[in-house]
Amino acid sequence: MATIASLLASTRNPFPCFRQPLYPGSRSLVFRRYLEPCGRRTPTVPRFIRACQPSEKVGGDGGGVSASAKSYHFGNELLSFASDNFLPLALVTGVGMGFANPSLGCLADKYSLSKFSTCGIFIISGLTLRTEAIGAAVKGWPLGIFGLASILLLTPSFSRLVMLFQLQPQELVTGLGIFCCMPTTLSSGVALTHLAGGNSALALAVTVASNLLGILTIPFWVSRYIAGGVGVSFPTDQLFRSLIVTLLIPLIIGKVIRETFKGFANFVDNNRKLFSRMNAICLSLVPWVQVSRSRSLLLSVEPKVFLAAIGIGILLHLSLLAFNALSIRILSGLSGDYNSKNSKGNGTAVLLVASQKTLPVMVAVVEQLRGAFGEPGLLVLPCVAAHLNQIMIDSILVNVWLRKSNASSTDGGSDSEDESDIEEEIQEVQNNDINNRYLQDNSDDDDDIDTKRVIKPTKDKRFEEMTHTVEQMKNAMKINDWVSLQENFDKVNKQLEKVMRITEAVKPPTLYIKTLVMLEDFLNEALANKEAKKKMSPSNSKALNAMRQKLKKNNKLYEEDINKYREAPEVEEENEPEDEDDDDEEDEDEFEDDDSKEAVTDEEVDETTDTRWETMLNKKDKQMEKLLSKDPKEITWDWVNQKFKEIMAARGRKGTARFDLVDQLTHLTKIAKTPAQKLEILFSVISAQFDVNPGFSGHMPIKVWKKCVLNMLTILDILVKYTNIVVDDTIEPDENETSKPADYDGTIRVWGNLVAFIERIDTEFFKSLQSIDPHTREYVERLRDEPMFLALAQNIQDYFERMGDFKAAAKVALRRVESIYYKPQEVYEAMRKLAELVEEDEEAEDAEEESGPISSFIVVPEVVPRKPTFPESGRAMMDLLVSLIYRNGDERTKARAMLCDIYHHALMDNFGTARDLLLMSHLQDNIQHMDISTQILFNRTMAQLGLCAFRVGMITESHSCLSELYSGQRVRELLAQGVSQSRYHEKTPEQERMERRRQMPYHMHINLELLEAVHLIGAMLLEVPNMAANSLEARRRVISKNFRRLLEISERQAFNAPPENVRDHVMAATRALTKGDFQTAFEVLNSLEVWRMLKNRDSILEMVKARIKEEALRTYLFTYSSSYESLSLEQLAKMFDVTEAQVHSIVSKMMINEELHASWDQPTRCIVFHEVQHSRLQSLAFQLTEKLSVLAESNERAMEARTGGGGLDLSSRRRDNNQDYAGAASGGGRWQDNNMNSGYGGRQGNNRSGYGGRPGQPRDWSGQNRGGGYAARAGSGNRGGMQMDGSTRMVSLNRGVRA
Amino acid sequence: MAETKENYDLTPRVAPNLDRHLVFPILEFLQERQLYPDEQILKFKIELLNKTNMVDYAMDIHKSLYHTEDAPQDMVERRAEVVARLKSLEEAAAPLVTFLLNPNAVQELRADKQYNLQMLKERYQIGPDQIEALYQYAKFQFECGNYSGAADYLYQYRTLCSNLERSLSALWGKLASEILMQNWDIALEELNRVKEIIDSKSFASPLNQVQNRIWLMHWGLYIFFNHENGRTQIIDLFIQDKYMNAIQTSAPHLLRYLATAFIVNKRRRPQLKEFIKVIQQEHYSYKDPIVEFLACVFVNYDFDGAQRKMKECEEVIVNDPFLGKRVEDGNFSTVPLKDEFLENARLFIFETYCRIHQRIDMGVLAEKLNLNYEEAERWIVNLIRTSKLDAKIDSESGTVIMEPTQPNVHEQLVNHTKALSGRTYKLVTQLLEHSQGQAAR
Repeated sequence: MATIASLLASTRNPFPCFRQPLYPGSRSLVFRRYLEPCGRRTPTVPRFIRACQPSEKVGGDGGGVSASAKSYHFGNELLSFASDNFLPLALVTGVGMGFANPSLGCLADKYSLSKFSTCGIFIISGLTLRTEAIGAAVKGWPLGIFGLASILLLTPSFSRLVMLFQLQPQELVTGLGIFCCMPTTLSSGVALTHLAGGNSALALAVTVASNLLGILTIPFWVSRYIAGGVGVSFPTDQLFRSLIVTLLIPLIIGKVIRETFKGFANFVDNNRKLFSRMNAICLSLVPWVQVSRSRSLLLSVEPKVFLAAIGIGILLHLSLLAFNALSIRILSGLSGDYNSKNSKGNGTAVLLVASQKTLPVMVAVVEQLRGAFGEPGLLVLPCVAAHLNQIMIDSILVNVWLRKSNASSTDGGSDSEDESDIEEEIQEVQNNDINNRYLQDNSDDDDDIDTKRVIKPTKDKRFEEMTHTVEQMKNAMKINDWVSLQENFDKVNKQLEKVMRITEAVKPPTLYIKTLVMLEDFLNEALANKEAKKKMSPSNSKALNAMRQKLKKNNKLYEEDINKYREAPEVEEENEPEDEDDDDEEDEDEFEDDDSKEAVTDEEVDETTDTRWETMLNKKDKQMEKLLSKDPKEITWDWVNQKFKEIMAARGRKGTARFDLVDQLTHLTKIAKTPAQKLEILFSVISAQFDVNPGFSGHMPIKVWKKCVLNMLTILDILVKYTNIVVDDTIEPDENETSKPADYDGTIRVWGNLVAFIERIDTEFFKSLQSIDPHTREYVERLRDEPMFLALAQNIQDYFERMGDFKAAAKVALRRVESIYYKPQEVYEAMRKLAELVEEDEEAEDAEEESGPISSFIVVPEVVPRKPTFPESGRAMMDLLVSLIYRNGDERTKARAMLCDIYHHALMDNFGTARDLLLMSHLQDNIQHMDISTQILFNRTMAQLGLCAFRVGMITESHSCLSELYSGQRVRELLAQGVSQSRYHEKTPEQERMERRRQMPYHMHINLELLEAVHLIGAMLLEVPNMAANSLEARRRVISKNFRRLLEISERQAFNAPPENVRDHVMAATRALTKGDFQTAFEVLNSLEVWRMLKNRDSILEMVKARIKEEALRTYLFTYSSSYESLSLEQLAKMFDVTEAQVHSIVSKMMINEELHASWDQPTRCIVFHEVQHSRLQSLAFQLTEKLSVLAESNERAMEARTGGGGLDLSSRRRDNNQDYAGAASGGGRWQDNNMNSGYGGRQGNNRSGYGGRPGQPRDWSGQNRGGGYAARAGSGNRGGMQMDGSTRMVSLNRGVRA
Repeated sequence: MAETKENYDLTPRVAPNLDRHLVFPILEFLQERQLYPDEQILKFKIELLNKTNMVDYAMDIHKSLYHTEDAPQDMVERRAEVVARLKSLEEAAAPLVTFLLNPNAVQELRADKQYNLQMLKERYQIGPDQIEALYQYAKFQFECGNYSGAADYLYQYRTLCSNLERSLSALWGKLASEILMQNWDIALEELNRVKEIIDSKSFASPLNQVQNRIWLMHWGLYIFFNHENGRTQIIDLFIQDKYMNAIQTSAPHLLRYLATAFIVNKRRRPQLKEFIKVIQQEHYSYKDPIVEFLACVFVNYDFDGAQRKMKECEEVIVNDPFLGKRVEDGNFSTVPLKDEFLENARLFIFETYCRIHQRIDMGVLAEKLNLNYEEAERWIVNLIRTSKLDAKIDSESGTVIMEPTQPNVHEQLVNHTKALSGRTYKLVTQLLEHSQGQAAR
C-alpha cells in the first residue's frame, strides 16, 4: 500500500500546479515551457518531458536508491519512466496545453476534434479487439451485468450525497449531481482498461451498453434526484445518433478492418504498445479540448469554491471506486473464482468503467436543460474538473496496478526489493507484451549494471525471476498462446545468461533444463494436434513455427543435460529450491517411492517421467497423470478398481471433459490387473466413447468410432481367450467379481451388453453417413469403414453362436443383413475386395500402434480375426444370415430380416421368390403395427419389388407394388429419401427432426426417377386400354388414380412442349398410345435417361416395346371395333408389327374375357365383330343389380367390422388358410394372429392371387389417409377378375366400388 | 428322347416324401419302363433295403445284381440279428397277441377305451408295456415286409393306444400297409382318417403340419390313381386351400397330378378356373408338359402350342409311375389313363376353340385335334348329336359353323342377383347369432 500512497502523492503533485501557474520553479512550469515549443503530438514528445523529470520523480518517492540511480544511464531511465507513465503524462500535458494556449484547443473544438478522438479510441479498440477476447467478455457476463447495474442504477444515487454539500454558487454542486447520473465515459474507461491489461472487450461492451441504455435512464434519475420530480426533457435521438456515430460505428469499422486484413491484425498484435500509446494520446486530447474551451470560465470562478468543487469531485470518484471495488470483490467472492486471471481482468474492467462518468453526455443534457438549474457554464465546470480528475486518478491507479502485479509476482521477500528492481520488472513485463525493439536493446545495458553490483541475494533474485518467467510460460502454455511463449522463451534465455554469469556455473540450472523439456513436450504435442493448429490465429501459428525452430536450435546445446534429466529427473529435483503445490508434492512422494524400487524397466521409467512432466503442464489432466505415474508394481486390483470407480463417478457430471474421461479410462484398461477387470473397464470406455457426442443430432466423431470398434474387438479378444468370462446385463455382478484372476476356475460375470454396443456402433455409422454430404470424398472414405464394422459384427455373432446365445446372434446377424441387403452383386463384390485391401493397411497400422511405449498388463493377442469373411455372392451370405435369424430371432428381427431378404431377392430379379416370401410372411397385413423404421424398410422393399417385377416384365404386379407408394405425393417421405413439403400439413420442428433422423444414407437410395418412370409406364400400359375399353360406359373403372390425374393435367394444356422430365415423357407416350401409335410411344420412352440405370437395359426395353405393341393393339381394338364389321388377322399383325400367333392369342383372350364382342372366322382368318346393344331398360337393370351387390357387400363389411370379421364363411376360410401358410413360411411366431383384416380381400382363390393390391395399405405411419388401402386392394381385385375370366367379371367390378 | 423322359421323371422329387416301402413300387415301375439302367435301380434298391428288415429280399437283389450266389457277410449277420429281434419282440407282445387271437376275449372289448385298458390290466395282466410292445412288433412286421400282419396289429393297437402321437403314427403305418397291399378302399378310408387328424391336431410348428400334408398327398397318389373314385378325390383334396398352399410352398410337382386329374375329370370343371390361376402363379417355379398344356389352352390360347404339349403329355403319362399304370388286355397292354387324357384334352381344345370362332375349317380342326379328317368329322358329329356343341357342319365348304351364343340378358341378370339372397340370408342369421351371443353374455 505504501507504494500506492506514494505514487498517488507523486502524481497528484502536478495537478495543483493548475492553480498556481505563476510559481516559477514548479514542475508544471517546466512542463509548460517544454511543451510549448513542440505543440504537436508525436511519439517523441515524452522524451523531452523525461529529460527533466527523473530527479524530482524519484526524489519525490523518497526511495533510497537515488545515489545509485544517478549512475544509471540517464536517457534510458527517462525513457523507461516515460513509457511507464505515458498516460498520466499525456493527460497532464493535455491539461497544461489547454491552459497555456486555449486558442489551439478552441480551434480543435471547433472542428470537433474531441469527437474524432473518441472515434479514434474506438477504432483502436476495434482494431485490437481479438475475437477470443469477445468470448472472454461473454464469459465475464455476471460482472458485466453488475457493471451495467452499477452505472445505471446504483451510482446515480450518489448524487443524493453530493447534493448534501453546500457551495456558493450551488450550480457547481448541482452540476456534480447531474454528473453522477451519467453513464460511463466513452473513451477513457475503455482505454484505461486496455492499458491496465483488463478485459477491454468487457469494458467496451459495458460502455456501449450503458451509454445506449443511459439515454433512457438519465432523464429519470435527473428528475428524481436533482429536479425533485420535475420532468426533464432529453435529446434522445440526437444523443443516440451521436453515440452510434462516435461509438459503435468506429468500433465495428475497427473490427472489420482487423478481420478483413489479416496482415493488419498481425501488425496490430505485434505493436500493441504503439496502439495503446495512440489510445492514450487520443484520450489526452479530450481534457485538452475541454480545458481550452472552459478556461475562461474556470478562471472566473473563485478558486476556493472551485477547489472545493474539485474536492467533492475527487471524493465522489474515490467513493465510487471504493464502492465498486467492494461490490466486485463481494461478487467475485460469491461466484468463487476470485483468483483466476480472467476474473481479475473482468474486475478491472468493470471497476474502471463503472466508476467513471461521461462528460459529453452531461454537456448535452445541460444544454437541453436550458438553465433550469442555473448557469450552464457553471454546471458544467465542476464536471469538467471531475472528469479530468477521474481520468487522472484512474490512470494513476492503472499504473499502480501494473507495478503491483509485477511486484507481487516477484514477491517473496519484497522488503529488500529496491525501486530499480521494480522498474526492471515492469520493463520486462512490458517486454512480454510487446516485442519492443528499443527497450530490448536496453536490457543488455542493464545487465552490465547488474553485474557490477553483485550482491548476495542477487543470485536468488535471478532465480526467482527465472522461475517467474517459467511460470508465465506455463500460463501461456495453458492458453496455447505461442506469441507470449516465444517472448518468454527469449527472456528466459537472457535470464539464463545472467544466472550463469552470477553463479559462474558451467551447467545451466535444472530449472532451465526442466523448462526446455517441458517446452519440447508441449511443442510436440501442439504439433501433433493438427486440428488445433489449424484453428490458431495466424500470428499464433507463426509464433509456433518460430518457436519450433528456436527450440530445436537451442536444445541442441543442452542435449546432454536434457537427456540426463529425462532419465533421472529426481536427482535434480532435490536440488530444486522451488515450492510446489500440494499436488505436486504428492506426486513427488509417489515418485520417490518409485525410486526405492529398483526393478523398474527402463521403458516404464520413461513413461512415468514423461507423464510426470506433463503434470505441470496441465492441471486439468492431473488426475490422469496421477494414474499414469503410478508405479506398475504398486498397482493392485483394489487400486485400479477404486480409480475406476472415481472416474466413473465423474461421468456425466457437469464439467467433466468427455474426452478426458475416455483417455483416463483407456489408460486404466492398460493397467487393469485381471482380464475381467480390463473387460469391465473396456465396457466403460466404450460407453464413455458413446457419450462423447451427446444428443441425437450429431454423430460420433469418426476417429472415436474407429477406436470404439477397436475396443470392441479387444473385448472380444478377451472373451475368446478367457472363456470363463461371461458378459451379462441382467444380473448385478458381485462387487469383487472382477478381482478373480485369469486362471479362476468358475465363470466370472461381467456386466455389459455386446448387442447393445454393436447396435449403437451401427447406428452411429448410419448417422454419420446421414450427415456427411454424399457428394464429397469424405462420404466415400466413410463408406470404406463398413468392412470394419462387418468384421466386428461377424466376430460378435460368432462369439454368441459359440456361447449358444442365438437370440443375440440373430440380432447381430440382422445388423449385418441390413448392411448388405441393398447391395447388388457388383457392389458386394467391390466391398469384398475392399475388405481384403483394408485388412493389409490395418495390419500396418496395428503394428505401429503396438510398438508404442505403453504396454498393458493384460496383453491380449489378437485372437479374433480383424477381417470380415464374405461368401462369394451376396445371396449366399444373405441366406446364411437370414436363416439364422429365422431360426432364432425375435419378432421384429425376423420381420426386418424378412424384408431385407425380400429386398435382396428383388434386387437379384427373383421376383417369384421375393413375392412368395412377402406373401408367406404376411408382413403386408401387420406392417402398420411395426415401428417406423421397419415400415420404411417395408416401403423400400415394395419399391424394389415393383422395380423387380418391371424388370422381369410383370407389369401388373409392378404397378400394384408401386401404386400405393404413389397414391399420395409423398414418395420421398415414404422411402425416407428426403423430406417432402406438404401443403396442407405443417410439420413441427420436432417432427421434422425425427424425419431427418430417419433418412436413408445416399448410397442406399432407390433412384426415384427410375421408380417414377416404372410406375408411370406400368400405369400407362394398364390404364390406356382400360380407358379405351370403358370409354362408353357410364361409370369408369380407374386403375391408377395418380395416372389419371396426371393425364388430365396434361390434356388441359393447350400446347404440349417437348417432354422434359419423366412425367412428360410418359404423358407424351400415352398420347401416342391412345391413338395406337406404338412406334412413337416407344421412341418417347426410349429417350428417357433413366434406362441407363438398369443392368440389362436392352432386354428390358425390348420387353417394354413388346408390351407397348400389345397394349396398342388392345387399345386399337377397343377404340375402333365398332367401326369394323370384320378385321383380318394379317392386317392387324402388320399394323402392330406383331406375329400373327401373338395377335391371335391376344384377341382370343379378349374374346374369352368378353372384352371384345367378336369371334374368329377361321377359314378367312379374320375377326368378325358382333354388335351387342342393350336396351335402356336392360342397362338400367344391370345398373340396379350392380348397386344391389354393392349394398350387400357393404352390409357384409359392416357386419364383419362389428363381429371382428369372424362370421362369413368366405373370409373365415381364407383366414384359416392364411394362418397355415404363414406358419409354413415363417416357421412359427405370431404372424398368423395378425390377420384380422385379411379376410376383407373379397377375392376368390387362395391368397396368392390376393397379392396384388395389398402391399400399400399399411404404410400409413403418419396417421393420414387411412382409407387408401382399400382402394388399392379393391383395384387389384377387379384386375384379377379382368384377366382371368369373363363370368366373374361383374362381381369383381362391384368389388371395385367398395372402396 | 431318353433325356426328356428323365427330365419329366418326378421320382427324385416324390421319393423323399414317401415311406421306404412305398418307393419300391415306383422302382419296380421304373425298372419295367427301362428309364434307367437296371444296375442303378438295383443298387438303389439295396440301399433302400439296408435300413429295412427285408434282408432276404436284399440278398436276392444282391445276387441278381452281382450274379453271385453268395450273400455278403454283413447281410447274413444282419439277417440273424433281425430274426433274433423279431423273436424277442414277438415274446414281448405275445400276451396281447394271444389275447387278440382269442375271439371270445376280443368280444369283451367295448367301445370305451378306458374301460378296455382297465379290463385288460385286471384280467389279463396286460399293461401299457405290452401295448407298446404290440406297436413295436407291428412296426417290425412292417419293416420285414409282412404288411398284412402289420396292418392287423396296428389296427388293434389303435383301439388300445392312448397316446395321440403314437396313434397317428400307427395310422400312417396302417395306411402304408394298406397301400402296399393295394386295398384301395380301406386305404382311402385310412387316408381320410389321417387327413382329419392332421387338420384337427395342433402341431408343434405349422411347418410340421405342412410337411404332414405333403406326405399325405404323396401317399395318396397311389390311391387316387387306382381307386375308381380317386380322380375326384384328388381334386377335392388338393384344391383345398391348405393343401394347395402346401403344394405351392413345398411340392409344386404335385401340380402335374392335379392337372391330369382336372383334365380327365369332367365333374370338377368349376374348380378349374381357380386351378388355372395357380398355374399362372407357379409357372416360374415348376414346368410340366401337362400343366403347360392347360396354360396354353386357358391362358395363352395358343392352340398350336397346346397340341405340341399334348404329345409331350402322352410321353409323360406313360412314364409316370402313378399315371402310367398298365392294363394287360390280352396280348397288348394299354395305358387307360393316357387315352382318357388325350380324349379329354382334345375336348378342351375344341371347346375353347369353338368359343372364340364362328366358322372353323374342318381340316384345320382335325389337325388341331390330332385326328384325321374323317375321325374329326365323326367326332364333331358325335358332339353335336349329344348336344354338347351348338354347331352345324357345312359339308360343302368343309367348315363347322358355330351358332352365335349370345347370353340372354335375362339370364345374365338372374346370374348376377342369384347370390344376393343367399348372402343376405347368411348375414341376417349371423347378425342374430351375434346379438344372441351378446345377450347371453
